[in-house]
Amino acid sequence: MVQEKRLARAQAIESQPAPRTTLALMTGMLFDVEPRSRLEAWTRTTAGAVWLLLALQFVTGTLLAFYYVPSTESAHTTVAYIEKVLPAGSWLRALHHYGSQWLTLFLVLHLAQLFWRTAYKRRPVAWTACILLLLLVFANGATGYSLPWDARAFFGTRVAEGLAGGLPLAGSLARRWLLGGVEISALTLMRFYAMHLLVVPALILFTTIARLFIFRERETNDAAPDEAEVETTHAQPRNEWRREQATRQFISAGLVFLALAIYATKFYAPLGPSAEAVSPDYLPRPGLQFLWLFQMLKYLPGRPGSVIALGFPGLFFACLLALPLLDSLHKIKLLDHPGRKLGATLLSLSLIFFALMTALAYIGDRRDPRIRAQLSRQADEEKTFRAQPFEPLRLRSGEADDETSPPPTRAAGNGEIANSSSSNSNAPAVAGPIKTSSAPDAYLKNCANCHGTRGQGFSIFPKLTGVSSKPHRTVEDLIAILDDPTAYGLKPPMKSFADKLTPEEKRQISEWVASLKKGKQ
Amino acid sequence: MPRTIETRAPQTETAPANSRRKFLLLLPYAILAGMTATIATAAFRFLRPMSAEAATPGWTDVAPVASITGDKPIMRSILVEHNAGWSSKFEEHLVYVLPQHERQVLTAACPHEGCNVSWREDQNTFACPCHESYFAPDGARINGPARRGLDPLPTREANGVLQVQFRSYENNTAERVVRG
Repeated sequence: MVQEKRLARAQAIESQPAPRTTLALMTGMLFDVEPRSRLEAWTRTTAGAVWLLLALQFVTGTLLAFYYVPSTESAHTTVAYIEKVLPAGSWLRALHHYGSQWLTLFLVLHLAQLFWRTAYKRRPVAWTACILLLLLVFANGATGYSLPWDARAFFGTRVAEGLAGGLPLAGSLARRWLLGGVEISALTLMRFYAMHLLVVPALILFTTIARLFIFRERETNDAAPDEAEVETTHAQPRNEWRREQATRQFISAGLVFLALAIYATKFYAPLGPSAEAVSPDYLPRPGLQFLWLFQMLKYLPGRPGSVIALGFPGLFFACLLALPLLDSLHKIKLLDHPGRKLGATLLSLSLIFFALMTALAYIGDRRDPRIRAQLSRQADEEKTFRAQPFEPLRLRSGEADDETSPPPTRAAGNGEIANSSSSNSNAPAVAGPIKTSSAPDAYLKNCANCHGTRGQGFSIFPKLTGVSSKPHRTVEDLIAILDDPTAYGLKPPMKSFADKLTPEEKRQISEWVASLKKGKQ
Repeated sequence: MPRTIETRAPQTETAPANSRRKFLLLLPYAILAGMTATIATAAFRFLRPMSAEAATPGWTDVAPVASITGDKPIMRSILVEHNAGWSSKFEEHLVYVLPQHERQVLTAACPHEGCNVSWREDQNTFACPCHESYFAPDGARINGPARRGLDPLPTREANGVLQVQFRSYENNTAERVVRG
C-alpha cells in the first residue's frame, strides 16, 4: 500500500512540467502548502509584510549610513543634517524609525499566526526563526536607539547600562562590556553602532537564509489532502493557487508599504536637541515597543528590577522556543497537547501584560500634571529644534588652529589680519591670519612650502611638530638631516640643504623645529 | 483590494474571469515596481551630491592692500572655509600675491600634480619641488611637466583689504577647469 502510494507520487512528479525559471522554483519553495480557506490564505500574508519591512529596514538603514557618523561629536549633527537638509532625508529616517516598530508588530502577528496554524509542531524551524527574528529586531531597536545621540538616545543608553549592570554575578562585567569602559563614552556609541549595523543585521540575514534555504522543512501535514492525489487528479491547476497566494502576499506587503510611506510623511522620527544640551529636568520616554519595559522598571527598583525585567521576557521567549520540544513530549504520550496549552496561555498573557503596561505607562504620564507639562515642554523643544536652521559642525582643521586663535569668520571686510605688519616688501613674506610663533626666515624660505608655516605638514610632506620626541631627532640630528637626509633614511622629495643654508641658519631651523610641540605651536 | 480576489473555482473558467486572473497575476510585479520606484526616487534625491555652486567658498581675506608693495611675489597662507555637507572646516592654502601684476593672486598649487611651488629669488622663477616645473614671475609656464601656468584666483577689494575666492583647478590639463 505504502509502496503503491510512493510509486504514484513519483509518477506524478515526473509528469509535472519542470519549473522553467528560478522564480517559479522559488515560488514553489515559498508556497508549499495550499491554504485551506480564504481566511487562512489572507492571514498567512503576515509573512509578506514581515519580508517587506525587513527589506525596507536594510535599504533605509543603508541609505542613512551614507551620512551618519558614529562619534559623540558628530552623530547628532549628521542626523540633524539628514533630517533638515537632505531631500527625502526625514522621510527615509521616519521609514526606518517607524518601520522598526511596525516590524516588531508584524513579527508578533506572524508569530500568533504561526501558532494558530500549530506551526511550532509541524515546522519547528519556521517557528524558531520567527522568535529569533523578533529577538534580533528588539536588539536592533535597542542599539539603534542610541545612535542619534540626542537626550532620548542618551537616556536610552543609560537604561540599557543600568539593566546590564543589575544582572546577577556578572553585572558590572556586562555593563563594562556594553559601554566599552566604565562610563558612557565615544566607545559606547561605536559599540552600539557596530552592533546595529554589522552584528545584528548579519545575524538577521543568517537567520533568514538558514530558515529559507538551509533548514527549510517540507510540510508534512496529516490533515492536508494527499499531495500525490491532488497532483494526479488535476495537475494543471497545481501552480494556480501558488500564484494567487503570491499575489495575496504582494498585495499585503504593498498595503503595508503604502500605509507606512504615508505615515512617515505625516510623522517625523523623533530627534531632540543634542545630548550635550540636556536640561536637568528632562524626562526620558522610550519608543512604543519598549514602553512596557519602562513601566515595569517603575515597579521594580534596584537590582531585582533588572533581573526581572530581563528575566521575564527571557523566560517568555525561552518557553516559546521550547514549544516544539514540549510537543514531542505529546508524541510519546506523556502530556496532552502541552505546547498548545502553554503557548496559548503564554501568548495571551503576554499580550495582556504588554497592553496593560503600555496603557499604564500612558495613563501615568497623562494623569500627573507636572509630567504632562514637562513632556509637552520637551515636545515643544523638539519642535523648536526642528524649526531651527541646520548648524554645520565646525571641524578643527588638523593642527592649523588651536584654542588661542580661532579661525577668522568669513571675510567681513574690515581685515582682521594678524602679522600683517611683518610682511616685508623685500623678501617673500609668509604670514597667515593666524599668529605664528616666530619661525626663522630661513625656514619660511626653504621649508615652509612643504612642511607648512608652522611645521604642520602638507599632503605627503610629514609634519614636524613633536618630531624631537622621536628617536634620533635631536637638534644635532636635525642639522645632520638637513645636510644629508638619505643618511637618516629619508626619501625624496626631501633633499639636502648642505649648500643652500649657512650653518647658522641650519641651527636656527633645527632649534625652532625641535621646539615645536605636538598639537600646539 | 482584498475582496476582489477569488480563490479559484475549478472547471468554471470563462473568458472574462480568465483575463481578470491574468491581470491579478501581473499585480505582484506592479506592486513591486511601485515600491521600488518610490524608494529609488527617494534614494536618488537623498544621495545626489551637492552642486558645485553650493561648494564654492566665499571670500577670504588675503592682506591689506596697503601692504602689497615691492617687486617680488608675496606668499600668504589663507584659511578657507570648506563646507562639506554636515561639516565645515578651515583649510590652509598657500597663495602668491603679485604686487607688480595688479595684485593678482595665484594659488601656490602646481597645475601638474598639486604640490606647492616656491619662489626662487635667485632665478626669479616659481619652481615646483616635486617634478621641477618652472613658472615666470607672472605665473606663466616656462618649462617642466606642468601643462599650463599657475592658476589665478578671483579677487576683490573690500574696505582696503584684498580678498580672494579660493578654488581648486583640475590637475594636468592645458585648459583651466575649475574642479567640481
